[in-house]
Amino acid sequence: MSAAVRALIRLLPLLALALLFGVSAGHDWAGPTRLLQALGGAEDLRARLLLEWRLPRVLAAALVGSLLGLGGAIFQGVFRNPLAEPYLLGSAGGAAIGATVALLVPLGLPSALALGGLSFAGAWGATLLVLAVARGAGARDAAGLLLAGVAVAAMLGAIRSFLMLALSDESVSLQVVLSWTLGGIQTPTWSGLAWLAGLAGLAIGASLTLARGLDLLGLGDDQAEAFGLDTDRFIARAILVGAAVVALAVAYGGLVAFVGLTAPHIARWWVGPRHRGLLPVSAAIGAILVILCDGLARAVLPPAEIPLGLVTAAAGGPFFLALLRRRLRA
Amino acid sequence: MSRLRADSLTVMAGTRRLLDAVSVDLAPGALVGLIGPNGAGKSTLLRCLAGLLRPGGGAVTLDGAPLADLPSRERGRRIGYLPQSFQPAWDYTVGEVVALGASRRPGATLRIPDLLRDHELTGLGERRWSQVSGGERARALLAATLVAEPDVLLADEPGASLDIGHRIDLMRRLRDWSRRSIVVVVLHDIERAALDCDRLLLLEEGRIVRDGAAATVAGSPDLDRVFGIRFERGSLAGGADAVLMLERRP
Repeated sequence: MSAAVRALIRLLPLLALALLFGVSAGHDWAGPTRLLQALGGAEDLRARLLLEWRLPRVLAAALVGSLLGLGGAIFQGVFRNPLAEPYLLGSAGGAAIGATVALLVPLGLPSALALGGLSFAGAWGATLLVLAVARGAGARDAAGLLLAGVAVAAMLGAIRSFLMLALSDESVSLQVVLSWTLGGIQTPTWSGLAWLAGLAGLAIGASLTLARGLDLLGLGDDQAEAFGLDTDRFIARAILVGAAVVALAVAYGGLVAFVGLTAPHIARWWVGPRHRGLLPVSAAIGAILVILCDGLARAVLPPAEIPLGLVTAAAGGPFFLALLRRRLRA
Repeated sequence: MSRLRADSLTVMAGTRRLLDAVSVDLAPGALVGLIGPNGAGKSTLLRCLAGLLRPGGGAVTLDGAPLADLPSRERGRRIGYLPQSFQPAWDYTVGEVVALGASRRPGATLRIPDLLRDHELTGLGERRWSQVSGGERARALLAATLVAEPDVLLADEPGASLDIGHRIDLMRRLRDWSRRSIVVVVLHDIERAALDCDRLLLLEEGRIVRDGAAATVAGSPDLDRVFGIRFERGSLAGGADAVLMLERRP
Protein backbone atom coordinates (compact mmCIF):
# COMPACT_ATOMS: atom_id res chain seq x y z
CA MET A 1 0.00 0.00 0.00
CA SER A 2 1.47 3.33 -0.99
CA ALA A 3 2.17 6.12 1.47
CA ALA A 4 -0.51 8.21 -0.19
CA VAL A 5 -3.26 5.62 0.34
CA ARG A 6 -2.15 5.18 3.97
CA ALA A 7 -2.23 8.95 4.45
CA LEU A 8 -5.71 9.20 2.90
CA ILE A 9 -6.97 6.43 5.20
CA ARG A 10 -5.49 8.21 8.20
CA LEU A 11 -7.13 11.45 7.04
CA LEU A 12 -10.61 9.90 6.91
CA PRO A 13 -11.28 10.12 10.68
CA LEU A 14 -9.97 13.70 10.68
CA LEU A 15 -12.29 14.53 7.79
CA ALA A 16 -15.21 12.94 9.64
CA LEU A 17 -14.40 14.93 12.79
CA ALA A 18 -14.13 18.12 10.75
CA LEU A 19 -17.53 17.41 9.14
CA LEU A 20 -19.02 16.80 12.60
CA PHE A 21 -17.57 20.07 13.88
CA GLY A 22 -18.78 21.88 10.76
CA VAL A 23 -22.37 20.69 11.14
CA SER A 24 -22.35 21.44 14.87
CA ALA A 25 -20.75 24.86 14.69
CA GLY A 26 -22.74 28.01 14.24
CA HIS A 27 -24.86 30.64 15.90
CA ASP A 28 -26.90 27.75 17.25
CA TRP A 29 -24.50 25.01 18.38
CA ALA A 30 -25.85 21.52 17.81
CA GLY A 31 -24.65 18.84 20.22
CA PRO A 32 -24.20 15.17 19.27
CA THR A 33 -27.69 14.28 20.53
CA ARG A 34 -29.30 16.88 18.28
CA LEU A 35 -27.26 15.69 15.34
CA LEU A 36 -28.31 12.09 15.91
CA GLN A 37 -31.94 13.13 16.30
CA ALA A 38 -31.79 15.09 13.06
CA LEU A 39 -30.16 12.21 11.23
CA GLY A 40 -32.74 9.87 12.76
CA GLY A 41 -35.49 11.81 11.01
CA ALA A 42 -36.65 14.28 13.64
CA GLU A 43 -39.21 16.63 12.13
CA ASP A 44 -38.72 19.77 14.19
CA LEU A 45 -37.52 22.99 12.60
CA ARG A 46 -34.07 23.00 14.17
CA ALA A 47 -33.37 19.48 12.95
CA ARG A 48 -34.52 20.35 9.46
CA LEU A 49 -32.39 23.51 9.46
CA LEU A 50 -29.42 21.37 10.41
CA LEU A 51 -29.96 18.90 7.57
CA GLU A 52 -31.22 21.22 4.86
CA TRP A 53 -29.29 24.36 5.63
CA ARG A 54 -26.08 23.57 7.45
CA LEU A 55 -25.15 20.16 6.03
CA PRO A 56 -25.12 21.26 2.35
CA ARG A 57 -23.07 24.29 3.30
CA VAL A 58 -20.49 22.13 5.12
CA LEU A 59 -20.30 19.78 2.15
CA ALA A 60 -19.84 22.75 -0.19
CA ALA A 61 -17.06 23.99 2.09
CA ALA A 62 -15.39 20.57 1.85
CA LEU A 63 -15.54 20.64 -1.95
CA VAL A 64 -14.28 24.23 -2.24
CA GLY A 65 -11.46 23.39 0.17
CA SER A 66 -10.45 20.31 -1.77
CA LEU A 67 -10.36 22.37 -4.98
CA LEU A 68 -8.20 25.01 -3.31
CA GLY A 69 -5.77 22.37 -2.02
CA LEU A 70 -5.67 20.73 -5.42
CA GLY A 71 -5.19 24.05 -7.26
CA GLY A 72 -2.33 24.97 -4.94
CA ALA A 73 -0.63 21.60 -5.50
CA ILE A 74 -0.95 21.93 -9.29
CA PHE A 75 0.42 25.48 -9.38
CA GLN A 76 3.29 24.66 -7.03
CA GLY A 77 4.11 21.71 -9.28
CA VAL A 78 3.96 23.71 -12.51
CA PHE A 79 6.00 26.62 -11.15
CA ARG A 80 8.20 24.31 -9.09
CA ASN A 81 8.05 26.70 -6.23
CA PRO A 82 6.55 26.10 -2.79
CA LEU A 83 5.51 29.77 -2.69
CA ALA A 84 3.37 29.47 -5.77
CA GLU A 85 -0.33 29.57 -5.07
CA PRO A 86 -3.35 30.66 -7.06
CA TYR A 87 -3.52 34.00 -5.21
CA LEU A 88 0.08 34.93 -5.81
CA LEU A 89 0.01 33.99 -9.47
CA GLY A 90 -2.92 35.99 -10.68
CA SER A 91 -5.20 33.07 -11.51
CA ALA A 92 -7.49 33.71 -8.56
CA GLY A 93 -7.32 37.43 -9.32
CA GLY A 94 -8.34 36.71 -12.91
CA ALA A 95 -11.18 34.49 -11.72
CA ALA A 96 -12.28 37.29 -9.38
CA ILE A 97 -12.51 39.75 -12.28
CA GLY A 98 -14.61 37.27 -14.24
CA ALA A 99 -16.85 36.72 -11.24
CA THR A 100 -17.15 40.46 -10.57
CA VAL A 101 -18.41 41.01 -14.10
CA ALA A 102 -20.77 38.04 -13.75
CA LEU A 103 -22.15 39.41 -10.48
CA LEU A 104 -22.52 43.02 -11.59
CA VAL A 105 -23.46 42.88 -15.28
CA PRO A 106 -26.79 41.34 -16.28
CA LEU A 107 -25.73 38.96 -19.06
CA GLY A 108 -28.99 37.13 -19.59
CA LEU A 109 -27.34 33.81 -18.71
CA PRO A 110 -28.15 31.52 -15.77
CA SER A 111 -26.10 32.98 -12.92
CA ALA A 112 -24.25 29.73 -12.14
CA LEU A 113 -23.19 29.43 -15.78
CA ALA A 114 -22.09 33.06 -16.06
CA LEU A 115 -20.21 32.94 -12.76
CA GLY A 116 -18.48 29.64 -13.55
CA GLY A 117 -17.69 30.44 -17.19
CA LEU A 118 -16.36 33.94 -16.59
CA SER A 119 -14.36 32.83 -13.54
CA PHE A 120 -12.71 30.14 -15.63
CA ALA A 121 -11.99 32.51 -18.50
CA GLY A 122 -10.48 35.00 -16.06
CA ALA A 123 -8.34 32.42 -14.25
CA TRP A 124 -7.06 30.88 -17.46
CA GLY A 125 -6.41 34.21 -19.17
CA ALA A 126 -4.58 35.60 -16.14
CA THR A 127 -2.31 32.56 -15.81
CA LEU A 128 -1.45 32.62 -19.51
CA LEU A 129 -0.77 36.35 -19.16
CA VAL A 130 1.66 35.64 -16.31
CA LEU A 131 3.46 33.06 -18.44
CA ALA A 132 3.59 35.41 -21.43
CA VAL A 133 4.85 38.35 -19.34
CA ALA A 134 7.53 36.18 -17.72
CA ARG A 135 8.70 34.75 -21.03
CA GLY A 136 8.60 38.16 -22.71
CA ALA A 137 10.86 39.48 -19.96
CA GLY A 138 13.18 36.55 -20.56
CA ALA A 139 12.47 34.91 -17.20
CA ARG A 140 12.95 31.17 -17.50
CA ASP A 141 13.14 30.26 -13.83
CA ALA A 142 10.54 29.97 -11.13
CA ALA A 143 11.56 33.20 -9.41
CA GLY A 144 10.93 35.19 -12.60
CA LEU A 145 7.54 33.56 -13.04
CA LEU A 146 6.59 34.35 -9.45
CA LEU A 147 7.59 37.99 -9.82
CA ALA A 148 5.56 38.24 -13.02
CA GLY A 149 2.66 36.62 -11.16
CA VAL A 150 2.86 39.09 -8.31
CA ALA A 151 2.89 42.01 -10.75
CA VAL A 152 -0.06 40.66 -12.75
CA ALA A 153 -1.99 39.86 -9.55
CA ALA A 154 -1.54 43.45 -8.35
CA MET A 155 -2.79 44.84 -11.66
CA LEU A 156 -5.78 42.48 -11.65
CA GLY A 157 -6.65 43.56 -8.11
CA ALA A 158 -6.70 47.19 -9.23
CA ILE A 159 -8.83 46.37 -12.27
CA ARG A 160 -11.29 44.45 -10.09
CA SER A 161 -11.64 47.34 -7.64
CA PHE A 162 -12.19 49.71 -10.54
CA LEU A 163 -14.83 47.42 -12.07
CA MET A 164 -16.59 47.19 -8.72
CA LEU A 165 -16.80 50.97 -8.51
CA ALA A 166 -17.69 51.48 -12.18
CA LEU A 167 -20.25 48.71 -12.61
CA SER A 168 -22.22 48.95 -9.40
CA ASP A 169 -25.27 51.20 -9.22
CA GLU A 170 -28.54 51.35 -7.31
CA SER A 171 -29.74 48.14 -8.94
CA VAL A 172 -26.68 46.05 -8.02
CA SER A 173 -25.34 46.06 -4.54
CA LEU A 174 -21.62 46.47 -4.09
CA GLN A 175 -22.09 44.61 -0.83
CA VAL A 176 -22.70 41.35 -2.73
CA VAL A 177 -19.40 41.58 -4.56
CA LEU A 178 -17.48 42.88 -1.58
CA SER A 179 -18.59 40.06 0.71
CA TRP A 180 -17.84 37.62 -2.10
CA THR A 181 -14.27 38.92 -2.50
CA LEU A 182 -13.70 38.36 1.21
CA GLY A 183 -14.61 34.73 0.68
CA GLY A 184 -17.59 32.83 1.91
CA ILE A 185 -19.44 29.63 1.25
CA GLN A 186 -23.07 30.09 0.33
CA THR A 187 -25.52 27.37 1.26
CA PRO A 188 -26.19 25.59 -2.03
CA THR A 189 -29.33 23.81 -3.07
CA TRP A 190 -28.95 20.03 -3.22
CA SER A 191 -28.89 20.14 -7.02
CA GLY A 192 -26.31 22.94 -6.92
CA LEU A 193 -24.25 20.81 -4.56
CA ALA A 194 -24.53 17.84 -6.91
CA TRP A 195 -23.21 20.01 -9.75
CA LEU A 196 -20.31 21.20 -7.63
CA ALA A 197 -19.52 17.63 -6.54
CA GLY A 198 -19.60 16.36 -10.12
CA LEU A 199 -17.37 19.16 -11.39
CA ALA A 200 -14.97 18.75 -8.45
CA GLY A 201 -14.78 15.02 -9.19
CA LEU A 202 -13.92 15.77 -12.82
CA ALA A 203 -11.31 18.29 -11.70
CA ILE A 204 -9.68 15.77 -9.35
CA GLY A 205 -9.70 13.12 -12.08
CA ALA A 206 -8.14 15.52 -14.59
CA SER A 207 -5.54 16.56 -12.02
CA LEU A 208 -4.46 12.99 -11.40
CA THR A 209 -3.56 12.63 -15.09
CA LEU A 210 -1.02 15.40 -14.50
CA ALA A 211 0.79 13.51 -11.73
CA ARG A 212 3.64 11.96 -13.74
CA GLY A 213 4.27 15.14 -15.74
CA LEU A 214 4.40 17.26 -12.59
CA ASP A 215 6.84 14.77 -11.06
CA LEU A 216 9.07 15.01 -14.13
CA LEU A 217 8.87 18.82 -14.14
CA GLY A 218 10.19 18.71 -10.58
CA LEU A 219 13.45 17.33 -11.98
CA GLY A 220 13.97 20.59 -13.90
CA ASP A 221 13.13 21.55 -17.49
CA ASP A 222 16.12 19.86 -19.10
CA GLN A 223 15.80 16.61 -17.22
CA ALA A 224 12.03 16.52 -17.77
CA GLU A 225 12.60 16.94 -21.52
CA ALA A 226 15.38 14.35 -21.43
CA PHE A 227 12.95 11.93 -19.78
CA GLY A 228 10.54 12.44 -22.67
CA LEU A 229 8.17 15.16 -21.45
CA ASP A 230 7.11 17.81 -23.97
CA THR A 231 7.41 20.50 -21.30
CA ASP A 232 5.79 23.38 -23.21
CA ARG A 233 2.70 21.37 -24.10
CA PHE A 234 2.47 19.81 -20.67
CA ILE A 235 2.71 23.15 -18.85
CA ALA A 236 -0.03 24.58 -21.08
CA ARG A 237 -2.27 21.59 -20.27
CA ALA A 238 -1.52 21.72 -16.54
CA ILE A 239 -2.31 25.44 -16.41
CA LEU A 240 -5.62 24.82 -18.18
CA VAL A 241 -6.59 22.20 -15.57
CA GLY A 242 -5.24 24.34 -12.71
CA ALA A 243 -7.24 27.35 -13.92
CA ALA A 244 -10.42 25.26 -14.12
CA VAL A 245 -9.86 24.01 -10.56
CA VAL A 246 -9.21 27.51 -9.20
CA ALA A 247 -12.15 29.01 -11.12
CA LEU A 248 -14.50 26.41 -9.66
CA ALA A 249 -13.26 27.14 -6.14
CA VAL A 250 -13.48 30.91 -6.64
CA ALA A 251 -16.93 30.75 -8.24
CA TYR A 252 -18.36 28.82 -5.27
CA GLY A 253 -16.25 30.14 -2.41
CA GLY A 254 -15.09 33.62 -3.32
CA LEU A 255 -11.53 34.64 -2.58
CA VAL A 256 -10.30 32.29 0.14
CA ALA A 257 -6.63 32.91 0.71
CA PHE A 258 -3.93 30.67 2.15
CA VAL A 259 -5.52 27.24 1.79
CA GLY A 260 -3.93 26.74 -1.63
CA LEU A 261 -0.55 27.53 -0.12
CA THR A 262 -0.87 25.63 3.14
CA ALA A 263 -2.58 22.39 2.15
CA PRO A 264 0.08 21.21 -0.36
CA HIS A 265 2.83 22.01 2.15
CA ILE A 266 1.28 19.89 4.85
CA ALA A 267 0.65 17.17 2.28
CA ARG A 268 4.26 17.27 1.03
CA TRP A 269 5.62 16.93 4.55
CA TRP A 270 3.36 13.98 5.03
CA VAL A 271 3.53 11.97 1.78
CA GLY A 272 6.56 13.46 0.03
CA PRO A 273 6.75 15.26 -3.30
CA ARG A 274 5.35 12.62 -5.71
CA HIS A 275 2.14 14.05 -7.15
CA ARG A 276 0.15 10.83 -7.34
CA GLY A 277 -0.06 11.05 -3.56
CA LEU A 278 0.40 14.77 -3.13
CA LEU A 279 -2.63 15.82 -5.23
CA PRO A 280 -5.34 13.78 -3.44
CA VAL A 281 -3.84 14.36 0.01
CA SER A 282 -3.66 18.14 -0.67
CA ALA A 283 -7.32 18.03 -1.68
CA ALA A 284 -8.27 16.18 1.52
CA ILE A 285 -6.31 18.57 3.74
CA GLY A 286 -7.78 21.57 1.91
CA ALA A 287 -11.27 20.18 2.57
CA ILE A 288 -10.56 19.77 6.29
CA LEU A 289 -9.08 23.28 6.59
CA VAL A 290 -12.02 25.00 4.88
CA ILE A 291 -14.65 23.03 6.83
CA LEU A 292 -12.98 24.07 10.10
CA CYS A 293 -12.52 27.71 9.05
CA ASP A 294 -16.08 27.96 7.73
CA GLY A 295 -17.34 26.53 11.04
CA LEU A 296 -15.33 29.13 12.96
CA ALA A 297 -16.59 31.87 10.64
CA ARG A 298 -20.14 31.01 11.73
CA ALA A 299 -19.45 30.34 15.41
CA VAL A 300 -17.01 32.97 16.65
CA LEU A 301 -19.13 36.13 16.65
CA PRO A 302 -22.79 35.02 16.60
CA PRO A 303 -25.11 36.10 15.18
CA ALA A 304 -22.69 37.82 12.79
CA GLU A 305 -20.65 35.77 10.37
CA ILE A 306 -16.99 36.54 9.72
CA PRO A 307 -15.94 36.34 6.06
CA LEU A 308 -14.27 32.99 5.43
CA GLY A 309 -11.24 34.55 3.74
CA LEU A 310 -10.45 36.47 6.91
CA VAL A 311 -10.61 33.30 9.02
CA THR A 312 -8.37 31.26 6.67
CA ALA A 313 -5.80 34.05 6.62
CA ALA A 314 -5.96 34.73 10.37
CA ALA A 315 -5.90 31.05 11.35
CA GLY A 316 -3.73 29.82 8.51
CA GLY A 317 -0.92 32.30 9.01
CA PRO A 318 0.15 31.38 12.55
CA PHE A 319 -0.58 27.70 11.93
CA PHE A 320 1.67 27.74 8.93
CA LEU A 321 4.42 29.60 10.78
CA ALA A 322 4.25 27.07 13.59
CA LEU A 323 4.61 24.19 11.14
CA LEU A 324 7.48 25.96 9.43
CA ARG A 325 9.24 26.49 12.75
CA ARG A 326 8.86 22.85 13.68
CA ARG A 327 10.09 21.83 10.29
CA LEU A 328 13.16 24.07 10.42
CA ARG A 329 14.06 22.82 13.89
CA ALA A 330 13.73 19.16 12.94
CA MET B 1 22.45 -0.93 -34.81
CA SER B 2 21.45 2.64 -34.22
CA ARG B 3 23.11 5.60 -35.80
CA LEU B 4 23.07 9.23 -34.71
CA ARG B 5 24.11 11.85 -37.24
CA ALA B 6 24.48 15.59 -37.06
CA ASP B 7 24.50 17.35 -40.38
CA SER B 8 26.01 20.87 -40.57
CA LEU B 9 24.54 22.07 -37.29
CA THR B 10 24.59 25.78 -36.75
CA VAL B 11 23.52 27.46 -33.52
CA MET B 12 23.61 31.23 -33.05
CA ALA B 13 23.40 33.24 -29.84
CA GLY B 14 22.81 36.77 -31.04
CA THR B 15 25.58 37.38 -33.54
CA ARG B 16 27.88 34.76 -31.99
CA ARG B 17 28.17 31.35 -33.60
CA LEU B 18 28.05 28.67 -30.88
CA LEU B 19 28.16 25.92 -33.49
CA ASP B 20 29.36 26.45 -37.04
CA ALA B 21 28.33 23.77 -39.55
CA VAL B 22 29.20 20.83 -37.29
CA SER B 23 28.79 17.36 -38.77
CA VAL B 24 29.41 14.12 -36.94
CA ASP B 25 28.45 10.48 -37.44
CA LEU B 26 28.06 8.27 -34.36
CA ALA B 27 27.57 4.52 -33.94
CA PRO B 28 27.79 2.10 -31.00
CA GLY B 29 31.02 0.34 -30.14
CA ALA B 30 33.22 3.28 -29.25
CA LEU B 31 33.31 5.61 -26.26
CA VAL B 32 33.40 9.06 -27.83
CA GLY B 33 34.90 11.98 -25.91
CA LEU B 34 34.04 15.59 -26.71
CA ILE B 35 36.88 17.91 -25.71
CA GLY B 36 37.73 21.56 -26.18
CA PRO B 37 38.28 24.73 -24.17
CA ASN B 38 35.48 26.60 -22.39
CA GLY B 39 33.02 28.12 -24.82
CA ALA B 40 34.03 25.84 -27.70
CA GLY B 41 30.46 24.56 -28.03
CA LYS B 42 30.70 21.14 -26.36
CA SER B 43 27.52 21.43 -24.26
CA THR B 44 25.65 23.11 -27.11
CA LEU B 45 26.52 20.25 -29.46
CA LEU B 46 25.52 17.67 -26.84
CA ARG B 47 22.17 19.39 -26.22
CA CYS B 48 21.48 19.43 -29.97
CA LEU B 49 22.31 15.73 -30.19
CA ALA B 50 19.95 15.09 -27.26
CA GLY B 51 17.12 16.99 -28.95
CA LEU B 52 17.00 19.51 -26.07
CA LEU B 53 18.12 22.37 -28.29
CA ARG B 54 16.89 22.95 -31.80
CA PRO B 55 19.72 24.07 -34.09
CA GLY B 56 19.18 27.18 -36.20
CA GLY B 57 20.53 25.31 -39.21
CA GLY B 58 21.19 21.67 -40.08
CA ALA B 59 19.58 18.63 -38.52
CA VAL B 60 20.17 15.70 -36.21
CA THR B 61 18.88 12.32 -37.34
CA LEU B 62 18.50 9.10 -35.38
CA ASP B 63 18.46 6.09 -37.70
CA GLY B 64 17.68 8.41 -40.58
CA ALA B 65 14.67 10.08 -38.96
CA PRO B 66 14.97 13.75 -37.98
CA LEU B 67 15.09 14.14 -34.20
CA ALA B 68 12.67 17.08 -34.44
CA ASP B 69 9.99 14.71 -35.77
CA LEU B 70 10.45 12.11 -33.04
CA PRO B 71 7.66 12.16 -30.41
CA SER B 72 9.00 13.42 -27.05
CA ARG B 73 8.21 10.14 -25.34
CA GLU B 74 10.17 8.09 -27.85
CA ARG B 75 13.05 10.55 -27.81
CA GLY B 76 13.11 10.30 -24.01
CA ARG B 77 13.24 6.53 -24.14
CA ARG B 78 15.86 6.24 -26.89
CA ILE B 79 18.20 9.08 -25.93
CA GLY B 80 19.60 9.34 -22.41
CA TYR B 81 21.11 12.63 -21.26
CA LEU B 82 23.20 13.26 -18.15
CA PRO B 83 23.38 17.01 -17.42
CA GLN B 84 26.32 18.94 -16.04
CA SER B 85 24.38 19.78 -12.92
CA PHE B 86 21.09 18.46 -11.66
CA GLN B 87 19.14 19.88 -8.76
CA PRO B 88 15.50 18.77 -8.48
CA ALA B 89 12.98 21.34 -7.26
CA TRP B 90 11.57 18.92 -4.68
CA ASP B 91 13.53 16.73 -2.32
CA TYR B 92 12.80 13.42 -4.05
CA THR B 93 14.23 10.18 -2.69
CA VAL B 94 16.89 8.35 -4.68
CA GLY B 95 14.33 5.61 -5.38
CA GLU B 96 11.81 8.18 -6.68
CA VAL B 97 14.32 9.68 -9.12
CA VAL B 98 15.18 6.20 -10.42
CA ALA B 99 11.47 5.33 -10.65
CA LEU B 100 10.81 8.49 -12.69
CA GLY B 101 13.54 7.40 -15.08
CA ALA B 102 11.98 3.95 -15.23
CA SER B 103 8.56 5.44 -16.06
CA ARG B 104 9.89 6.02 -19.59
CA ARG B 105 9.49 2.30 -20.18
CA PRO B 106 5.86 1.66 -19.33
CA GLY B 107 4.96 -1.99 -19.13
CA ALA B 108 8.49 -3.15 -18.47
CA THR B 109 8.84 -5.18 -15.30
CA LEU B 110 11.51 -3.26 -13.49
CA ARG B 111 12.27 -3.78 -9.86
CA ILE B 112 13.66 -0.62 -8.32
CA PRO B 113 15.63 -2.52 -5.62
CA ASP B 114 17.43 -4.52 -8.34
CA LEU B 115 18.23 -1.33 -10.23
CA LEU B 116 19.58 0.26 -7.07
CA ARG B 117 21.74 -2.80 -6.40
CA ASP B 118 23.18 -2.74 -9.93
CA HIS B 119 24.35 0.81 -9.34
CA GLU B 120 25.68 0.25 -5.82
CA LEU B 121 22.82 2.21 -4.30
CA THR B 122 21.43 -0.54 -2.09
CA GLY B 123 19.83 0.90 1.04
CA LEU B 124 19.67 4.41 -0.39
CA GLY B 125 16.26 4.08 -2.07
CA GLU B 126 14.43 5.90 0.74
CA ARG B 127 17.16 8.49 1.25
CA ARG B 128 16.30 12.08 0.23
CA TRP B 129 18.30 13.72 -2.55
CA SER B 130 19.59 16.40 -0.15
CA GLN B 131 21.03 13.69 2.07
CA VAL B 132 23.20 11.74 -0.39
CA SER B 133 26.71 12.50 -1.59
CA GLY B 134 27.74 13.79 -5.02
CA GLY B 135 28.95 10.34 -6.01
CA GLU B 136 25.67 8.71 -4.99
CA ARG B 137 23.71 11.35 -6.89
CA ALA B 138 25.76 10.75 -10.01
CA ARG B 139 25.15 6.99 -9.77
CA ALA B 140 21.44 7.52 -9.10
CA LEU B 141 21.06 9.78 -12.12
CA LEU B 142 23.01 7.32 -14.24
CA ALA B 143 20.71 4.53 -13.02
CA ALA B 144 17.63 6.65 -13.80
CA THR B 145 18.98 7.34 -17.28
CA LEU B 146 20.17 3.85 -18.15
CA VAL B 147 17.06 2.09 -16.86
CA ALA B 148 15.27 2.87 -20.14
CA GLU B 149 18.14 1.15 -21.98
CA PRO B 150 18.63 4.09 -24.35
CA ASP B 151 20.24 3.63 -27.77
CA VAL B 152 22.16 6.84 -27.19
CA LEU B 153 23.76 8.14 -23.99
CA LEU B 154 25.01 11.72 -23.89
CA ALA B 155 26.84 12.85 -20.76
CA ASP B 156 27.92 16.43 -20.06
CA GLU B 157 30.88 16.40 -17.67
CA PRO B 158 29.27 13.70 -15.57
CA GLY B 159 32.29 13.37 -13.28
CA ALA B 160 32.88 17.07 -12.67
CA SER B 161 31.95 16.95 -9.00
CA LEU B 162 33.38 13.50 -8.29
CA ASP B 163 36.62 12.42 -6.69
CA ILE B 164 39.07 10.47 -8.81
CA GLY B 165 37.87 7.06 -7.62
CA HIS B 166 34.26 7.75 -8.48
CA ARG B 167 35.26 9.41 -11.72
CA ILE B 168 37.14 6.30 -12.85
CA ASP B 169 34.20 4.14 -11.80
CA LEU B 170 31.78 6.31 -13.80
CA MET B 171 34.00 6.17 -16.89
CA ARG B 172 34.15 2.39 -16.58
CA ARG B 173 30.34 2.26 -16.57
CA LEU B 174 30.11 4.54 -19.60
CA ARG B 175 32.73 2.40 -21.34
CA ASP B 176 30.73 -0.77 -20.67
CA TRP B 177 27.62 0.89 -21.98
CA SER B 178 29.39 2.07 -25.16
CA ARG B 179 29.71 -1.53 -26.37
CA ARG B 180 25.98 -1.65 -27.12
CA SER B 181 24.93 2.01 -27.35
CA ILE B 182 26.19 5.26 -28.76
CA VAL B 183 27.95 7.05 -25.89
CA VAL B 184 29.28 10.61 -26.13
CA VAL B 185 30.80 12.25 -23.09
CA VAL B 186 31.99 15.84 -22.63
CA LEU B 187 35.26 15.87 -20.70
CA HIS B 188 37.53 18.59 -19.35
CA ASP B 189 40.09 16.11 -18.10
CA ILE B 190 42.24 15.57 -21.22
CA GLU B 191 44.32 12.82 -19.60
CA ARG B 192 41.24 10.79 -18.74
CA ALA B 193 39.77 11.48 -22.18
CA ALA B 194 42.91 10.12 -23.86
CA LEU B 195 43.00 7.12 -21.55
CA ASP B 196 39.33 6.11 -21.47
CA CYS B 197 37.87 7.12 -24.83
CA ASP B 198 38.21 5.32 -28.13
CA ARG B 199 37.44 8.34 -30.26
CA LEU B 200 37.87 12.04 -29.56
CA LEU B 201 36.19 15.05 -31.10
CA LEU B 202 38.15 18.26 -30.57
CA LEU B 203 36.03 21.40 -30.70
CA GLU B 204 37.28 24.93 -31.18
CA GLU B 205 35.03 27.98 -31.52
CA GLY B 206 32.03 25.98 -32.65
CA ARG B 207 33.87 23.80 -35.15
CA ILE B 208 35.21 20.26 -34.97
CA VAL B 209 38.92 20.64 -35.75
CA ARG B 210 39.94 17.01 -35.14
CA ASP B 211 37.88 13.82 -35.15
CA GLY B 212 39.64 10.50 -34.83
CA ALA B 213 41.11 7.74 -32.68
CA ALA B 214 41.86 8.96 -29.18
CA ALA B 215 45.60 8.35 -29.49
CA THR B 216 45.80 10.25 -32.78
CA VAL B 217 43.85 13.28 -31.56
CA ALA B 218 45.72 13.32 -28.25
CA GLY B 219 49.00 13.16 -30.14
CA SER B 220 48.13 15.91 -32.59
CA PRO B 221 49.67 19.38 -32.29
CA ASP B 222 46.14 20.78 -32.73
CA LEU B 223 45.49 19.86 -29.11
CA ASP B 224 48.35 22.06 -27.92
CA ARG B 225 47.24 24.90 -30.16
CA VAL B 226 43.56 24.79 -29.19
CA PHE B 227 44.23 24.76 -25.44
CA GLY B 228 47.30 27.01 -25.58
CA ILE B 229 49.24 24.43 -23.62
CA ARG B 230 52.22 22.22 -24.36
CA PHE B 231 51.21 18.60 -23.69
CA GLU B 232 53.91 16.00 -23.11
CA ARG B 233 53.20 12.47 -24.27
CA GLY B 234 54.74 9.48 -22.60
CA SER B 235 54.21 6.21 -20.75
CA LEU B 236 53.94 5.28 -17.13
CA ALA B 237 56.83 3.21 -15.87
CA GLY B 238 55.96 -0.44 -16.35
CA GLY B 239 52.60 0.39 -17.95
CA ALA B 240 51.67 0.50 -21.57
CA ASP B 241 49.10 3.26 -21.14
CA ALA B 242 50.01 6.51 -22.74
CA VAL B 243 49.49 9.49 -20.47
CA LEU B 244 49.81 13.17 -21.08
CA MET B 245 51.65 15.50 -18.82
CA LEU B 246 50.57 19.10 -18.93
CA GLU B 247 52.81 22.08 -18.99
CA ARG B 248 51.71 25.64 -19.49
CA ARG B 249 53.28 27.23 -22.52
CA PRO B 250 55.79 29.93 -21.55
